[in-house]
Amino acid sequence: MNGSSDVASYLIVVLFLASLLMNFTDIPQRIQLHRFSSFVRRKLYAIEEMEVDARRKAVAYMSSIGIKEPSKILEGFTDNFFLIRPVDIEPTDIIRRFKHLIRVRENSVREYVRKVLDTTERSIQYSVETVLEVVSVLRLLNKLVRHYLELGLKYNNWILVMQLAIQMPELVEIARAYVNSLNAFTSGIPIGDSVGPLVAKMLVNLQENSREISEGTDLYETEVDGRKIYVIKASGPGSNVGWPGEALEKLVEELGGTIDRIITVDAALKLESEESGEVAYGTGAAIGDIGPEKIAMERVASKYSIPIDAVVVKMSEIEALSPISRNIYEGVVKSYELVQRVIREKVREGGTVVVVGVGNTVGVK
Amino acid sequence: MLFQQFDALIMALLIALLLLVLTALLPWLISLTSSKPKAVREELVEVVRCPSCSYESPRKYEKGDYVGKIVGTCPRDSKPLVVKAIYIEKYSQTT
Ligand SMILES: [Zn+2]
Repeated sequence: MNGSSDVASYLIVVLFLASLLMNFTDIPQRIQLHRFSSFVRRKLYAIEEMEVDARRKAVAYMSSIGIKEPSKILEGFTDNFFLIRPVDIEPTDIIRRFKHLIRVRENSVREYVRKVLDTTERSIQYSVETVLEVVSVLRLLNKLVRHYLELGLKYNNWILVMQLAIQMPELVEIARAYVNSLNAFTSGIPIGDSVGPLVAKMLVNLQENSREISEGTDLYETEVDGRKIYVIKASGPGSNVGWPGEALEKLVEELGGTIDRIITVDAALKLESEESGEVAYGTGAAIGDIGPEKIAMERVASKYSIPIDAVVVKMSEIEALSPISRNIYEGVVKSYELVQRVIREKVREGGTVVVVGVGNTVGVK
Repeated sequence: MLFQQFDALIMALLIALLLLVLTALLPWLISLTSSKPKAVREELVEVVRCPSCSYESPRKYEKGDYVGKIVGTCPRDSKPLVVKAIYIEKYSQTT
């Protein structure tokens, strides 16, 4: 027997034993559990750091506008102010119940902020509310990830930990988008979600004359080639989404339903294969609402059988929370031109149109 | 003879170990060969517009600006200039 064939035969035996060990025991899963959990932990540290960063930014912002003991205010807000969804196995009047709960929560948040804020300027008040909400979203994300990691380790549930590990990069990106959005919210720069209000502002040629039709929601009037245009958007330039559904309902009822067309403009989530800033046109109420505002639009449109159009600017979830990029700005200009074309082509001269610019109006007065 | 066999066993284990280490290092080796993304410089810019004569011009963002804010007068007809949009412009880093 020579040496090299000895080596080869031993090698075959070693590899055979190793493959038995890998195929017919739980050892690979244990190793994977260990690897994936340490990966999750590393990413979790990144999210934790971001949360600390967000807290620091929030505290700095609140003390810059004269709030005393900002960290105490922050502590009192995160973990509180949750909303319990209404019963949905008995859906009768669920929208009314949901709307009521949302308004009550919003009012208690508003009360909470108003108590500690000296200034009565509303846009600052709205921005403080948003900053507090962003920090509590990060807190929640952090707690959820930790929960699933600890649950997986406790019961040796390697599938749970593996799933978590696979989702971590996306979750870290979302957390980063939230932290970056704080810069936009505190310095008042329009974000991706502001495309609706931006288009609205362009349609009225940047005019200032408006009246408040619902709380924190403004109504503008203008004209395009002999057609009367009503434009609804949230009141800026603080971070605010207003009540566009309620505002549309009020306006249509005020006018007795004599409206030829409703056009809603909003940001929409893009598919991975789509370009940011693409503009698309369709039917329905373009609004990313949990229910009450959207159904108000649909109800009032169907009550008076008014055609309702949707114009959307496509973007990723991260872009929706970050200051707008050049692509999305071009999408805003394109959808402004599209809205004007729809008005010219589909509404008779002398007709009336309502355009609703849906979204957060941060940085857009 | 026994020594020689022992030597072959060690050899076989070493080869198996080498294979294991190579598999473990594979992702790292792949990451070495893939190219790194280019650095970009980001800058906030804004577009100002005169609502009465449609004059438009880009300019640098200044702290405290928002869309709808009056930021000077129009060079064509001296009416107020208003911020129309604020966005991020990306420049690829040359240096
Ligand atoms: Zn001018």
